[in-house]
Amino acid sequence: MKTKSLSDRFGSGLMHLLLAVFAICCLYPFILAFMVSISSEQSLINYGYRLVPVEFSTLAYEMVFRDSSIYTGYAVSIFVTVVGTILSLVICGMAGYAMSIRRLRYRNVIAMYFYIPMVFGAGLLPWYLVCTQILQLQNSIWALIVPMLVSSFNIFLMRNYFKTISYSLIESAEIDGCNVFRIFFQIVVPLSTPIIATVTLFIALAYWNDWTLALWFIDKRSLYPLQYMLYKIESIMQFVRQYGSMGNIQVPAQTFQIATLFVTIGPIILVYPFAQRYFVKGIMIGAIKG
Amino acid sequence: MKANITAPMTPASNLNSKVLKKHGFLWEMKKNWAYYLMIVPAAVLLFVFAYLPMPGLIIAFQDFNFVDKFRSPFVGLANFKFYFTSTYAWRTTFNTIFINFNYLIWTTFFSVSFAIMLNEINGKICKKLYQNVMFLPYFFSSVVIGKLVTRIVFSDGMGLANQALKLFGQDPVVWSRNPNPWAWIIIFTHVWKNTGYQSIVYLASITGIDEQLYEAASLDGATRWQRIRYITIPLLLPTIITMSLLSLGGMLRGDFATIYSIIGDNGLLFKYTDVIDTYVFRAIKQAADFGPSAAVGLYQSFVGFILVWGSNKLVKLYDENYALF
Repeated sequence: MKTKSLSDRFGSGLMHLLLAVFAICCLYPFILAFMVSISSEQSLINYGYRLVPVEFSTLAYEMVFRDSSIYTGYAVSIFVTVVGTILSLVICGMAGYAMSIRRLRYRNVIAMYFYIPMVFGAGLLPWYLVCTQILQLQNSIWALIVPMLVSSFNIFLMRNYFKTISYSLIESAEIDGCNVFRIFFQIVVPLSTPIIATVTLFIALAYWNDWTLALWFIDKRSLYPLQYMLYKIESIMQFVRQYGSMGNIQVPAQTFQIATLFVTIGPIILVYPFAQRYFVKGIMIGAIKG
Repeated sequence: MKANITAPMTPASNLNSKVLKKHGFLWEMKKNWAYYLMIVPAAVLLFVFAYLPMPGLIIAFQDFNFVDKFRSPFVGLANFKFYFTSTYAWRTTFNTIFINFNYLIWTTFFSVSFAIMLNEINGKICKKLYQNVMFLPYFFSSVVIGKLVTRIVFSDGMGLANQALKLFGQDPVVWSRNPNPWAWIIIFTHVWKNTGYQSIVYLASITGIDEQLYEAASLDGATRWQRIRYITIPLLLPTIITMSLLSLGGMLRGDFATIYSIIGDNGLLFKYTDVIDTYVFRAIKQAADFGPSAAVGLYQSFVGFILVWGSNKLVKLYDENYALF
């Protein structure tokens, strides 16, 4: 169908070139950073950042893993991500499902209730006061979980998907005496795997990557999630230098930071090849149904 | 089909709903209690974190202290005066709008362009490869991105940017002391991070366009550029407008996480990068200026709401179908 004129072929070439340039822009800093993290500190000072390390060294990673804070960071991040994702998914999923039921008379009022905060919020200070004065969340691990549990966006995304499930299926299950919760968990959820997978990934990513909640509420070092540790890396390095069991080895300042960065994003890199497929699918569903 | 058989469809269903209404609130609750129960956890949490703070806006009109809390003495508009007469008001408002506006323009420009290109090129493997690599930065937290920007690309000594400058025979720049470029660095960091994600959204809506339109255009001898110009872009316009409208509400908020992870508390760079959210954060956490912070929050919400509502009205005047609500 498509004619292959000279100008068309030139156009295709140009488009490939532009896309490739942007793709390289997206990838290059990560690769360079990784190479920096496996170089020796001295070679960086002498030769600058090189794509191929002049002097190979794993000292930075050894230091990162020798300090116990990385393990507590991992424990906090994993706990927050797993518990937060499961709770958020169940809470938002149930709300989205109930709102997809057409015979629910107040579903539009409820949808409005969930929609208003997307347009109008009270701002940071009242929210901060509610969290610290009423809920007493400061220096509690729940401060990293609870404020992010409900997302109106995810509720609407799931509701739109649940709406496409045939209502007669649900009705016939009801007639057979199946209760509402069982219908949801045993019939609706298995029929909605694409959207559930996508929303799960969205939520898990948000929990894993969040550090602003820690910035607001956490002072205790033992409750730092990984990303907040990375944010506070300078002060942690100070700590390692003073109290660490490193003996008289100099902590390599540059490479230590970058090595920590790669340690904190390790799980994402491992999951990415499997996960991105669901992301793309989910965005497609959201965009078409949206 | 069914509508044809039971011809007086509308009156019948009206009658039906009238009968239902007779049963009232309690009847509905009794019949569908399980469904409403499913909504309760989400509704309660939303109430606590989104509705409960709203009365707290009263602090904007008070001289807040922790003893009296919400019964602190009223001071009228003094908090607003404090902010709007300070040098911060103009600077933070301008920076916020400047940065957000550029976010919107450039992210839309690049992601629409790349979406069209991804749609036009042949070769499934190339397409997948570009898409996956472009999508990659979206997966990392703003701290990771911030560290890459400040330690690898724009680090003072031997970063990528200084290497590039050296290549063109320019002197290296001490980035951490030079406020001028940082607004643009923040803008393009955000664009770089989000373009991959948004281009997939746009690509999804391009693939929804009817293939026959392109075939007809080809038969009429339309060139590729004409097909893009007269089919793809006009049909993409509703999506572009919707996405832009959605981000207008946050015009005065800004991407706190990205900006704070890049700039942090480096006061030397505030001139062009201090936005309202970072100002409020410092006012709360470092200065404990609660009254003014609440006032600024109210200002943000109010302007954001006006922006969404107003631009939606404008869009509605232009074409009813493009409006959000």
